Amino acid sequence: MQVIVNIVVLGSLYCLICCGYVLIYRASRVLNLAHGEIMSLGAYFLFTVAMSVGSHPALSFICAILMSLVLGLIIYQFLMRFMAGESAFAAVLVTIAMGILLRGLTTLIWTSQDWYPLQYLGIENASHLLMGDGVISTFGIIAVVSFVVIYACLFTSFKFTRWGLRMRAVGENPLFASQRGIRLHRYYAVSWALASFSAGVAGMIQACDSGLNPGMFHIGLKAFPVVVVAGLDSLAGVIPAAFIVALVEILAINYISPQASEVAPFVVLLGMLLIRPWGLFGTKEEIERV
Amino acid sequence: MKRKILAGMLVCLTFVVFLVPPAMAKDPYVIGFSMAMTGRGSGIYAPIKDAFDLYFKEINAGGGINGHPVKILIQDNAAQPSKAAAQAKKFVTQDKAILLMNAALSSTFAPMIKVAKRYKVPIFFAGSVCPKEVYPPNPDPMQFCSTGFAAKYDSRFALSFIKEQSKEPINLGLVAMNIPVSRGEIDFAEELSKSMGIKVSDKEAIPPPTPDYTPFATKLKSAGANWVYSWAPWVTEVKTLEALRKLRWKGKYLAFAHIQAEEELARLKDDNFYVFGTNAFFSDDLEIHKAIKEASLKEKTIYPHTKLVEGWIAAMVLEEILKKVSWPPTPEKVRVAMGKVKAETKGLRGGSLIWTKDNHFRTINYYRVYKWDSAQNKIVTVKDWTPLEVK
Repeated sequence: MQVIVNIVVLGSLYCLICCGYVLIYRASRVLNLAHGEIMSLGAYFLFTVAMSVGSHPALSFICAILMSLVLGLIIYQFLMRFMAGESAFAAVLVTIAMGILLRGLTTLIWTSQDWYPLQYLGIENASHLLMGDGVISTFGIIAVVSFVVIYACLFTSFKFTRWGLRMRAVGENPLFASQRGIRLHRYYAVSWALASFSAGVAGMIQACDSGLNPGMFHIGLKAFPVVVVAGLDSLAGVIPAAFIVALVEILAINYISPQASEVAPFVVLLGMLLIRPWGLFGTKEEIERV
Repeated sequence: MKRKILAGMLVCLTFVVFLVPPAMAKDPYVIGFSMAMTGRGSGIYAPIKDAFDLYFKEINAGGGINGHPVKILIQDNAAQPSKAAAQAKKFVTQDKAILLMNAALSSTFAPMIKVAKRYKVPIFFAGSVCPKEVYPPNPDPMQFCSTGFAAKYDSRFALSFIKEQSKEPINLGLVAMNIPVSRGEIDFAEELSKSMGIKVSDKEAIPPPTPDYTPFATKLKSAGANWVYSWAPWVTEVKTLEALRKLRWKGKYLAFAHIQAEEELARLKDDNFYVFGTNAFFSDDLEIHKAIKEASLKEKTIYPHTKLVEGWIAAMVLEEILKKVSWPPTPEKVRVAMGKVKAETKGLRGGSLIWTKDNHFRTINYYRVYKWDSAQNKIVTVKDWTPLEVK
């Protein structure tokens, strides 16, 4: 039972992290390699708010989530906007440079110390007994619930709302969308904000569950194979891909060796690249173009 | 005539101002310190800068050493070997440093040692894990180390402590980070456990960027471990413990006390979490602790005073070395001085730190064990200074 719980929690965390990669790629065809840094910034926002505003957990989370949303908008407005129309490679290089900058800023502002936002939020990460002797932590539950809620909201919005339809149009054919009067930059900015928001939520949950330090961005990179397995432009593909990678990783820990968990996601990635290079649900033409 | 005298005076004045070195200015002892202030593992290395800044500010304010100030050139290598190599070369060739220092991951050692050997400048590891070349009986003549944690020695003490504490049969779980130095020590602990009659029920080498430690903790718990011993960077030690506690594991956990340990014991308030180390905690409230705390608060250091002890000890050792280096200093004089050091640690360690010609590590390693005591609501000493001879 515990193994299943571990897979569900890890898979949910990967879903939360990878959502942002796909949203940005799908809308603007930019592979954001600073996603891990954006995720850790979300966690630092929570820590800062919890320390300064006070120990009201809900208020702290809301403020930090808003800050994450604004971060995405700022990144688009002041940096990525100027990459519109440039080659995908140039945009990727810009995101790499942005990642280095954000990492440096993080260390300058918050130092290299380990921080624990829960200390300031005044809540406990208790463990809860499940059926069959399985145990899950409070923030494990929050990770699962957040993943379900965020994905349900995104799918519903893309399917049934006007802006969701426009987002899809922008992603599928920006030229036609633009000719139909859709403001591309507005929807690109929204995709960056949503990506930053979901990454921020993942970072906050991770920080509450096991602390915060500048090395957290590595987790964002570790989740990257999930996106390629899913198909870079497929949000629906992220869910099975995340749970496949989590399953392989945890089986590797249990039945091969703990060290094997480090390479397990990349073994899945290599397998997928050999069999289906465009991922589980990705668009074949897109991956060839990149 | 007046014009000639005036011109002569001007020439003399120019000569005095620009050509003659100021008679009163003292040249400093120049030390080149390459440190991981950012990047992987920087959480334990960066506070060393704070400690050195505080310590040598005070030394220089008091007239320096042998009448000369000490200039510590600190540069951030971000835990990257190429940066460490470039910095070491700059320190030696441009800044004329008489000693190189390192506080970073072991991957930065080789390029710095190469520079040290090429230019015959000794290298002092202060805060980074001690390379095996400093151990007796045949240490490398150019390498020295003052860092508290030490492979092959720490586990000897740790396992004997576990054995001494346990009244029932021990099922030991071992935890490393999946990096060579930590894995090597835990492999050593596994072998040592067998020779001591301790049953090892599980061994986990956890990769560094791990989002969730629960799967590893699940294995340790399922294996029936009633004691877990971890010798790894703090992040792995403490996150594995927290994951075990989330799984409602009730066993005892022993980890090496890195610089974060004192604050973390107070945060976790776990009666079965033991930390062992070579540096005294501030809870001991020694005179030297008061001095460090006061200096840290006065200068508003970036890192809290509880994290400055390792750097402070290295600074004490450096002061002791430089006292023996007569002016003008040369790398060779420094190397000779380092071969016979006895640094008084004023209680920060169990005894003096002694380097000899055939031991560049220390002749005796003193260990102490601390834990949180809920009944007293404070950190308590479980086992007082225990010497371990280093041969």
